[in-house]
Amino acid sequence: MTERVPAFDLHHPPDQALIDDCVHCGFCLPTCPTYLLWGEEMDSPRGRIYLMEIGLQGETMNDQMVSHFDRCLGCMACVTSCPSGVQYDKLIEATRQQVERRHPRSRRDRAFRALIFRLFPYPRRLRLLRGPLRLYQRTRVGTLLRRVGLLGRLPARVGAMERLLPAIGPAQRLPEVTPAAGERRRRVGMLSGCVQRVFFPEVNAATARVLAADGCEVVAPAAQRCCGALSLHAGREAEAQAFARDAIATFEAAGVDEVVVNAAGCGSAMKEYGHLLRDDPAWAERAAAFSARVRDLSELLAELGPTAERRPLPVKVAWHDACHLAHAQGVRAQPRQALAAIPGLEVREVAEGEICCGSAGIYNLTEPRPAGELGDRKAANVLATGAELLVTSNPGCLMQIRAAIERRGERLPVAHVAEVLDASIRGADPGSLLDRG
Amino acid sequence: MAATLEGLERGDLVRPATGADTVDGIPAELVAEPASVEEASRVLAAASRAGKKVVVVGNGSKLGLGNPPERVDLILRTRRLDRVLEHAAGDLVVKVEAGARLADLQAAVAPAGQWLALDPPEPGATVGGVVAANASGPRRLRYGTVRDLIIGITVVLADGTVARAGGKVVKNVAGYDLSKLFCGSLGTLGLIAEATFRLHPRPAAAAVVTLQVKRPEQLGEAVRQVLRSTLVPSAIELTWHDPFGPSGVLTVVIEGIRPGVEAQAAAAAELLGEVGEAEVLGPGGTEAALSQLGALPSEKAEVGIKVAVPPAELPGALTDLATGWLGHGRLAAHAGTGVLRVGLSGPNPGDPEQVEAFAGVVAKARAALAARQGTLVLTEAPPAVKRAVDAWGPPGDAVELMRRVKRQFDPDRQMSPGRFVGGI
Amino acid sequence: MDRDALIQRFTDVVGAHGVISERNQLRTYECDGLANFRVVPSVVVLPETSEQVRSVVAACHQAGVPFVARGSGTGLSGGALPVSDGVLVVLSRMRAIVEVDLDNQRAVVEPGVLNLQVSKAVAADGFYYAPDPSSQQVCSIGGNVAENSGGAHCLKYGFTTNHVSGLEVVLPDGELVHLGGKAPDPPGYDLVGAFVGSEGTLGIATRITLRLLRKPEAVRTLMAAFEGTDHAGDAVSRIIAAGIVPAAIEMMDALAMEAAEAAVHVHYPEGAGAVLIVELDGPAAEVEHQFAEVERLCQEAGSTTIQIAADDEQRALFWKGRKSAFAAVGRISPDYYVQDGVIPRTALPEVLRRIAELAGERGLRVANVFHAGDGNLHPLVLYDGDVEGQEERAEELAAEILYACLEHGGSITGEHGVGFDKKQYMPKQFGADDLQVMQLLRCAFDPEGRCNPGKVFPTPRLCGEVPGPRRVHPVEAAGLAEVF
Repeated sequence: MTERVPAFDLHHPPDQALIDDCVHCGFCLPTCPTYLLWGEEMDSPRGRIYLMEIGLQGETMNDQMVSHFDRCLGCMACVTSCPSGVQYDKLIEATRQQVERRHPRSRRDRAFRALIFRLFPYPRRLRLLRGPLRLYQRTRVGTLLRRVGLLGRLPARVGAMERLLPAIGPAQRLPEVTPAAGERRRRVGMLSGCVQRVFFPEVNAATARVLAADGCEVVAPAAQRCCGALSLHAGREAEAQAFARDAIATFEAAGVDEVVVNAAGCGSAMKEYGHLLRDDPAWAERAAAFSARVRDLSELLAELGPTAERRPLPVKVAWHDACHLAHAQGVRAQPRQALAAIPGLEVREVAEGEICCGSAGIYNLTEPRPAGELGDRKAANVLATGAELLVTSNPGCLMQIRAAIERRGERLPVAHVAEVLDASIRGADPGSLLDRG
Repeated sequence: MAATLEGLERGDLVRPATGADTVDGIPAELVAEPASVEEASRVLAAASRAGKKVVVVGNGSKLGLGNPPERVDLILRTRRLDRVLEHAAGDLVVKVEAGARLADLQAAVAPAGQWLALDPPEPGATVGGVVAANASGPRRLRYGTVRDLIIGITVVLADGTVARAGGKVVKNVAGYDLSKLFCGSLGTLGLIAEATFRLHPRPAAAAVVTLQVKRPEQLGEAVRQVLRSTLVPSAIELTWHDPFGPSGVLTVVIEGIRPGVEAQAAAAAELLGEVGEAEVLGPGGTEAALSQLGALPSEKAEVGIKVAVPPAELPGALTDLATGWLGHGRLAAHAGTGVLRVGLSGPNPGDPEQVEAFAGVVAKARAALAARQGTLVLTEAPPAVKRAVDAWGPPGDAVELMRRVKRQFDPDRQMSPGRFVGGI
Repeated sequence: MDRDALIQRFTDVVGAHGVISERNQLRTYECDGLANFRVVPSVVVLPETSEQVRSVVAACHQAGVPFVARGSGTGLSGGALPVSDGVLVVLSRMRAIVEVDLDNQRAVVEPGVLNLQVSKAVAADGFYYAPDPSSQQVCSIGGNVAENSGGAHCLKYGFTTNHVSGLEVVLPDGELVHLGGKAPDPPGYDLVGAFVGSEGTLGIATRITLRLLRKPEAVRTLMAAFEGTDHAGDAVSRIIAAGIVPAAIEMMDALAMEAAEAAVHVHYPEGAGAVLIVELDGPAAEVEHQFAEVERLCQEAGSTTIQIAADDEQRALFWKGRKSAFAAVGRISPDYYVQDGVIPRTALPEVLRRIAELAGERGLRVANVFHAGDGNLHPLVLYDGDVEGQEERAEELAAEILYACLEHGGSITGEHGVGFDKKQYMPKQFGADDLQVMQLLRCAFDPEGRCNPGKVFPTPRLCGEVPGPRRVHPVEAAGLAEVF
């Protein structure tokens, strides 16, 4: 009789004590995007916790079990809705790590993931793509391929990547130090990100300007690398830890009060460094202290209180809560506050706001079909607000929702909240925000 | 003819029937008047052993319902099962024997400022009859019907088995809801011996707003406006005295505490004023209107008809029915719920041609109403008419299931055989 | 028909994506909201249309295989506990709101529609669906129909059965029938009334016609703190005696407040032994007047603090605290057991005292949350499963509480149903004849006894049996039911 290999080994399996917090009430089901799509217990937080539990009891980690873990977006909407306080975030993180270490993936799967993780956490490599991609876009090769129907023939995942490409503009680099305007109230570090710094450099520029305007000296160390968010959320533990140590060291060296992040996924990951490095005696305390100083842009602005005048922007905007900001970090009020402070700006809530747009890190690359359905759902809800501009705080969400809107044959400009604040502070014309692709 | 049932002494419990003891013209052999659940059980068990068919009668006000029974061997009268058993005022619950009159129940709970929110028109009706016939009145709009107020029941089956369902508490989901199964069952599943109800506080004040209605569309618009508003009427009644003549009257009743009633009445009058001539009645008019509320359309009707449609279909149903034969009828409707009662003085039961014509008209009306998801039943008709027209109309696709239910509860078809839907 | 053949049959009907047969996946369905009982089903099927449900049930009928229906799996009595070697029919994919007919105040929905979704769908037009169980954001209408679910507002507005006017039902032999509809007083037996609350033992509802209500003009909510449950109970009595019918009256004791505070941060007044949430709704003039009176009556009964909800947000917070109380109790105790019992409201003080007594005897804590207006108690028995013997003591205590309810003329369940969990208590509330007669209904719907067998009734009745020596029912012989 073949022995059953239990699903988890002893290195940080999902914690039984955390699993025991689940009372099986099911309040998480209606907030879970995959349960909304498929209505199956296994693809709900309650069901996934159940799979973890039976894994701990000794059931094998087979393809089906792994598929349900893979299909979890990691959006943490369940954490928000759970009345019992189940820390699902820690459970899925531990589980994903186990999956990465112990479950043999298909060759294709492995190759695709290897590609992603050799590319996205490395801004220099991403930058190498800028030129060719820009050419690709300017010569409208993609449009031609789409029209001819060839694009649809590509494997779904590659097609997904293609559709998500933002319009590539001219290159920009953040200065190492941006001085504060007027009295210096804080000296803050700023994470420039990977996708953000390469594909949305204007967002970083706007972020630095806004912080400076409200009295922050902004330090964006040129040496900084990836924060490790994608790796952490995909269960690649060692890789994430390496990035974390790097980031901590870089920002410690910069001597800053807080570290400001303008990408929700990155901010969420950095706030978890303490947990991520808890086993490393050399880093545990440092990491915890570091995490305590991480702030989302809107958090810091709310803490400081605005000093620069917000000039009117008579625009109707729809605000999209990024999951890693609202659910994972619990930051909901501050971005709304920041937008509300802009005279003339009307902020409209998006229906089903707590449901993920489908971006979820690399989810829209590894699971393009549900990601696409969720994107469509989000796009419909966003368009239904009648807003003129979509505002969010995460590059992934931005790309995902824009792609979904375009799929419907509609157009809606999208902007990062930093860009909106920046436009307001500079007294820019609303057109600068609205007249974009 | 037997003078009693085997095993039971002739006397108060069982005695031979007299001329008055008939159902739809069919004379009974015996009459039983049990004074307790235990006696009722003995009577039914004995009847079962003797193969006697039984019809339960309270005050007799519902005997017109349904088709004539196949046989009536024994009439079981509930006259002596007439006690109010328990009134827990603090819990707003009352338990009575089925032979108690509804009026007596109301009198028993009135001193505590409470009432059972049922206002069917038949005076003298017994509680058992009200439950068995699912009788209701105008205030069903606000409070629901018997099924929404009954919380417990004691029944005696054809073979004498006594069973209880529900209880004394309003909130109770233990076991099947047999109380509801017996509502409207017309005695075909067994004797309803006791029933427990939830009560409501008796409203302190009332106001009445009337609207003159000249056309069905006006009626539809008025009801729609009231139901879409935040008014909470106790009843919305339509009376049309001169059949489809110049006008009918829509009566909206508002009940509650005085400040609320006054404010709502004013709001209702304003709302209805957009549709036609509306007014809030003065004290005298209010009293008169309330005393007449829900009265049957015609005291002298020989044929009674009840039409039920989704309320928004009522104006359309009126138009459907406004053909020649209905022109001889008088009409009253619970306009907010979609229940319409018509009282007719024809056809002449002694004239076969008239009866046949009537049957044809009913069939046509039923077909028209079916398109509106509505039904038409006879509530009262001479036996000759009932022989030509099925009292209930075409049953839906659940009739076989209903027959199976009947077979389980009364396998020998002892209780009111043939009176109910689908020949049950 | 063997299992593989049945799986193939199901796959033909619903497609491969609608059939689950792998062990780990099946195990995620082995319990509903009551995790104390677990049974792995043989197969799980997820139909998407009435016709598919009909075909699935017909296949089960032909194969002689028992089946259980499940909605969101949030029930607290084990009503959706699968039958071993049986099929679990999950209705969560049938979640369309088929029709909204505001002029007739009706909505027609599929069984997988979530309770709160109905209200959301008609909110913009000023309507709502009244029955509001605490799990309304996740529980399904189909589940509500099975359990005749109530909720805090059922004091004034009634339960699911008062808000269902029609059903399309697949009978256990695969026949599809229509019961009731949009029109009132359908001729025939009130089978809708018999079906609602039958806990999935009579068939599967595939379309439900619901009654909608117009949202009231005004809603006022207050939270009144008291020294203890006696004082709070007295306030409730005064309110009822004054002829006021609030939309809801809920009570929480100190322990329940502690848990809710940890989860929701309502800011309950410190030191309060009990808190009452009283909500009035209706026409504005009436509500204003009665609300002032309720406030006065609470003060008369000795309320220490009264908070009046200033706006919808605060009102929602009061309710969030109450509705999260069950699950929030997980924060103050490793394990707990939610009991559900009913007593006449006037017996409240005495029964609460008895519960405290019983709890003390067993060295366990009980947090009390309940619908004070209708006497529906939810004692939460707290325990630590890791401590030897505590789980057994907790179960005993839960049972004792039920007996106390019965002693005072109440019921073993007000909302959660009998399901699997409480069938052992049915003979304590009903006589043998009562249970046998109820089961006549089941025989009419499900003569073969394959629709959710082993639920509600401890001793199944052999359908068609005549009085005489008892024969052992196959379900009993199969070990699915016991005689108590």
